Amino acid sequence: MHLDVAFSTLFDLLTTPRLLFLMVIAVPMGVFFGSTPGLGGKLGLVLLIPFVYNMDQLTGAVFLCAMHAVVHTGGSIPSILIGVPGDGPAAATALDGFAMTRKGQAGRALGASFGASTVGGLLGAMFLGLSLPILEPIILNFSPAEFFLLAILGITFIATLSGDSFIKGMIVGLFGLMCAFIGLDPSTGSPRFTFGQIWLWDGLSVIVAVLSMFAVPEMISLGVRGRSEDVSAQTASRLQGTAAVEETVSRKVSYAQIFHGLWDVTQHKWLVLRCSLLVAAIGVIPGLGGDAAAWMAYGHTVQSSKHPERFGKGEVAGVIGAETGSCAKEAGSLLPTLFFGVPGSSGMAIMLGAFLMLGIQPGPTMLTDHINIVWSLIWALVIANIICVIMLIATGPWIGRLGSVKASFLIPYVLVFALLGCYLYGGNWQNLILVMVVGSLGYLFKRHDWPRAPFIIGVILGKIAEDSLQKAIAIFGAGFFLRPISLILIALILASIGFYMWRARRPKIVPSHA
Amino acid sequence: MLKRLLAATMGAALLWSASAMAAADMGQFRGKTITYIVSTSPGGGYDTYGRLIAKYLQKYLTGSRVVVRNVPGAGHIVGANTIYAAKPDGLTIGMFNTGLIYDQLIKRQGVLFDLAKFSWIGKAADDTRVLMVSKSAPYKTIGDILKVKTPIKFAAAGVGSAAYNDARILADALHLNVQIVPGFTGNEGEMSMLRNEVVAEVGTAESMEQFVKQGHGFFALALSGNPNALPGVPRARDYVKDERGKRLLTLIETLSEIGRLTAGPPGMPAGVLAAEREALDAAMKDPALIAEAKKLDLDLDPASGALVEARIKAALNQPPETVAALKSAAGG
Repeated sequence: MHLDVAFSTLFDLLTTPRLLFLMVIAVPMGVFFGSTPGLGGKLGLVLLIPFVYNMDQLTGAVFLCAMHAVVHTGGSIPSILIGVPGDGPAAATALDGFAMTRKGQAGRALGASFGASTVGGLLGAMFLGLSLPILEPIILNFSPAEFFLLAILGITFIATLSGDSFIKGMIVGLFGLMCAFIGLDPSTGSPRFTFGQIWLWDGLSVIVAVLSMFAVPEMISLGVRGRSEDVSAQTASRLQGTAAVEETVSRKVSYAQIFHGLWDVTQHKWLVLRCSLLVAAIGVIPGLGGDAAAWMAYGHTVQSSKHPERFGKGEVAGVIGAETGSCAKEAGSLLPTLFFGVPGSSGMAIMLGAFLMLGIQPGPTMLTDHINIVWSLIWALVIANIICVIMLIATGPWIGRLGSVKASFLIPYVLVFALLGCYLYGGNWQNLILVMVVGSLGYLFKRHDWPRAPFIIGVILGKIAEDSLQKAIAIFGAGFFLRPISLILIALILASIGFYMWRARRPKIVPSHA
Repeated sequence: MLKRLLAATMGAALLWSASAMAAADMGQFRGKTITYIVSTSPGGGYDTYGRLIAKYLQKYLTGSRVVVRNVPGAGHIVGANTIYAAKPDGLTIGMFNTGLIYDQLIKRQGVLFDLAKFSWIGKAADDTRVLMVSKSAPYKTIGDILKVKTPIKFAAAGVGSAAYNDARILADALHLNVQIVPGFTGNEGEMSMLRNEVVAEVGTAESMEQFVKQGHGFFALALSGNPNALPGVPRARDYVKDERGKRLLTLIETLSEIGRLTAGPPGMPAGVLAAEREALDAAMKDPALIAEAKKLDLDLDPASGALVEARIKAALNQPPETVAALKSAAGG
């Protein structure tokens, strides 16, 4: 370990006013990009890259890293307050976060989210630092065979995330998997499910899937209801089952609520630790991607909970698991980007371009020749997360007002940005039609209480599963699953299915008060 | 003395009028916005080249504003279709992968353009193609690879992509005993080599240089490019025995010679095309652009639009047997 370098770089960062100042600017920028559905961190990076062009290596990289580090924390705000996530991982936060808002616990959800994402970010960064010496063997032991099995493990979580109806969840999940196969067949290059439309060759993007499954349905139903909080009281008691506990649903976000959420995080410390490590480890393996990692953290949270039936209905642990996952993965995905030049997430792919532009040449020599940059970036992740949580807690009550914005203001704002995001992502107007079609379907799902999360999991993991299965068979032959790590993963998959079946047979416990 | 003075004055006047004429040509875009289409998503090589070129085109097309628009999709086909269908007023130009020649030759579905008809403005680089072999593989020279009895594995990009076609064509031309594993994007092929899953990959020398410098691989064969650029690396041409193989290799050579090209829609007025060609030529010589490219680690090897046009037309003129070979290569 390079402990001397580790601490001297931290000292340098904290005592260089220019760097601190840039991080303080970068954090609200990251929160803004993350919290505006449709913009997202990737666009933020693309827009900010020209500004770092004239900065020196360290300054530019620290600035971008600090911005990127907090994008997901920002993304949790609209997910929780209006049920509109901006990307794949944030959709996991929306499941329980928005349900909490409808129960009048928006502040608690925000507090839990800020706390969990900060701790997740910190633990992820620590994982990054500690795993430097053993990084190479970890990364090199995961091949397409393991990616495939990890994707299958993630797909088994669909069962857990199906809510009350396993059949409905499976149908939606399989539909998501089918949508993942839209586009060019990776092994033959021939178009599938494209109906002669060339713009469908690149498939259904996760961003389009998330925005149409969540942003559009939420906005339609908000339009139907008129105001987001009008239903909260009745919905709260309906959702709670036994509980008419929340008779008076508070619409305001108070510091007390936020601190309640932060306290919740400390009550789930082992969950936070498990999710951070799980996700940072998955994020570190290039090929699986951060979107998958965050959903696996949420899946794990539900599966390991004593009360899986409460998830999706406003369970604070759901917010904590999803947020820890979203933020821990960025640290994990920075590693392969820096050491192999292989980005661990889509955001990191753009970051890689920026690093090259700044003259940082990723590769194993980063460990020997540029270890100070590596540690500076790790610390930048840590410091940005801390600045972010302080800023967000301080402004929490004001942020909370977003939840009671009039529908007539909110709907056009969200829809315009969501559609803009979909357009920018693919660069074609036809995506807008796709959003409307899938969005209407999403609304029907929502209206008739069909789970929407399995669709997202299907879209994210279907592509990974297919691509890695093709590669695994081509490389290792039909016996690809006999590698040691593969066998462990198969055991995990079987355990996951077995655990679900065991729990499904168990007599239902009446949920206690949340 | 008087004569000399007169001659000098006339010379100066001629020069002034010539430069004034050129300036008038370049000034025709004053107050106009030129859209420079990049056929990929933001980030990555094409986007970086595109943004750099757009920035300096704006400098030389006096008074214009050049904005980059990313039109990704279907492996550059959507971007090329968009440029092709634009109004030929010089206000929509852009960049796409030269590998689209393959798609046009095999009449791939979705291709709505004819490369022979584009208005070619110029090119920025050579994309020297190489075969890179993993250092941990038991093959030390191309001779070893030519002799293998059981198929060895090559990593390649998605089926139908230009990089995939290059790999298939090389295997076909040299009668290599290989199994091509498709679907590797970015540096994933190199990761696969580090994991000892595949032994080699075909790609551009520029993208693989770092991996070689790190000691993980070596260039076993240069498929194209300037022979002096990679000293000591054997040339693929020396190992091709039949006419068919030679034709296929010529196609790769042509493609890599005209990398990072800029094109406009067919039928651009001569004055507009000339001004944009001149602006691109001037931009590519600009010391500031060269310095920026160096900082970004981008190779430059510019050439005029006229040369690109000639090369493209030659490359499209392939006998049916080459097209058949390409079709079988692209068929997987």
